[in-house]
Amino acid sequence: MNSRLFPVTVLVLVTAFLIGPFFIIVAASLSEGETLAFPPQGLSLKWVAKVFEVESFRESFAMSMLLAIGGTAAALALGIPASYALSRYRLPFGETVRTVVSLPIIVPGIIVGLALLRYLVVPFGFNITLALFLAHTALVLPYAVRVVSASLNNLRSDIEEAAVLLGSSRAGAFFRVVMPNIRSGILAAFILGFVTSFNQVPVSLFLSGPGVRTLPIDMLSYMEVTYDPSVAALSALLAFMSIGIVFLAERFLGFSRYV
Amino acid sequence: MFHNRAEALALALPAAVFAAVVFLAPVVILLAEGFRNADGWSVSAYSGFLSDPLNRTVFLRTLRLGAAVTVVAAVIGYAAAFAIVNLPPKGKGRMIGLVVLPLMISPVARTYAWIVILGRTGIVNQALTSVGLTDEPVRFLFTETAVFVGLLQLFLPLMILALISALENMPKDAIPAARVLGANWFQVFWKVILPLTREGLVIGGTLVFTGSLTAYITPAILGGSKVLMLETLLYQRVTVANDFVSASVIAFILIVMSFAANLLLKRLATARSKR
Repeated sequence: MNSRLFPVTVLVLVTAFLIGPFFIIVAASLSEGETLAFPPQGLSLKWVAKVFEVESFRESFAMSMLLAIGGTAAALALGIPASYALSRYRLPFGETVRTVVSLPIIVPGIIVGLALLRYLVVPFGFNITLALFLAHTALVLPYAVRVVSASLNNLRSDIEEAAVLLGSSRAGAFFRVVMPNIRSGILAAFILGFVTSFNQVPVSLFLSGPGVRTLPIDMLSYMEVTYDPSVAALSALLAFMSIGIVFLAERFLGFSRYV
Repeated sequence: MFHNRAEALALALPAAVFAAVVFLAPVVILLAEGFRNADGWSVSAYSGFLSDPLNRTVFLRTLRLGAAVTVVAAVIGYAAAFAIVNLPPKGKGRMIGLVVLPLMISPVARTYAWIVILGRTGIVNQALTSVGLTDEPVRFLFTETAVFVGLLQLFLPLMILALISALENMPKDAIPAARVLGANWFQVFWKVILPLTREGLVIGGTLVFTGSLTAYITPAILGGSKVLMLETLLYQRVTVANDFVSASVIAFILIVMSFAANLLLKRLATARSKR
């Protein structure tokens, strides 16, 4: 066996397997024909244009954005103080707290969605959008705690102790000394949370109602009825959005360190 | 380290209480529902669930697909991770970027691509017909094969990334040393690489296995109602039959299997490394 040829072959095949489908989606979305096909029949942007015309896509996109940004912000608002307590304080039942906030990552999302529907929405008349928001916050919380904890643990704690000794309040030390140092960790947590929430399907499956739907759920139900290339076009657009976000994040943050 | 207890609790409690109320409590109540019937506590829901042959088929299929995806991901993962680790730094960074990238793309979009590839008029069928291997299009969609391929594509990056970091932490001279001492590549893998990267394999394996067990999107798109897995069965039971008891049973099975996989693999890792 040639010792150079083997690794190159492996890398080419694996890359083709992982990335290839993405190119096929892009190509299929540029088709002029009425049905999904590869190679595309003719070239046109009509399916890309159609994505922006479908009203339910616009609505569910707005909903997904709202949940991803709002839910991640809420998860960080809860997660940053909790991470700080876990890494800097001798917290009673610290391990229990860490387990409880990390559990949503282990329990399948579909179960969380169903449980919220059964025991919050139905009995207490909770608004579906609010339930979705709570579910997405819970889902992102483990990532927020994990990434922020990691950057806190990489930061020496004696600089804030020094700030406190020099007369700063504990809160002042946190906002003036700690926050500026973990800013890129927080940003990385935000991006990771945003992507996780935006792409999430199972949690939102049961938490959908009239006019309340996340984009991936909307795509799933759209493709059940139609086989036209507009879902391919939407998929391609979403993929480009993710690639853009990850590229910028990697450029400015060295994002892959945090994933 | 600060010692102010009240401050620590004030910082940590909101997150803990939120997770307990919004997440933990509803899930626990849902699971408890599966252990009750009209007369009180009982496991009759479980015996009822498992006595249905369809449920047993779905349960075994989910386990089988999870195991198959994990094993194949491990084999490909070792080859890919080994090749990536040995690249020059710049190429290595780029390859890792290419492996991370799919993880950020919507799984619905990634799975949807397989419809184009595996469909009746998809690329695979076009190739097969033009070579003359078949006259009629082969049905790939809504088969276990399609679900297997979709799951593998979804979770392979996790295995590769776990193995890359394990291989990077391996002592640099272990492999040349074994080679100099006359080991062939098979022995090098079995006696040197595998024991030294076991932890990474366990981490990657757990992620891939539990990810496949609890997959929803892939079986929903590529399997349909012909190839149900536990999560699509759960969804179907609730939406078609309003059957919350079965849903609770499936939820419990999924959670137990996820935790068991975590524990078992952790145990395997420590038991082996102690020898």
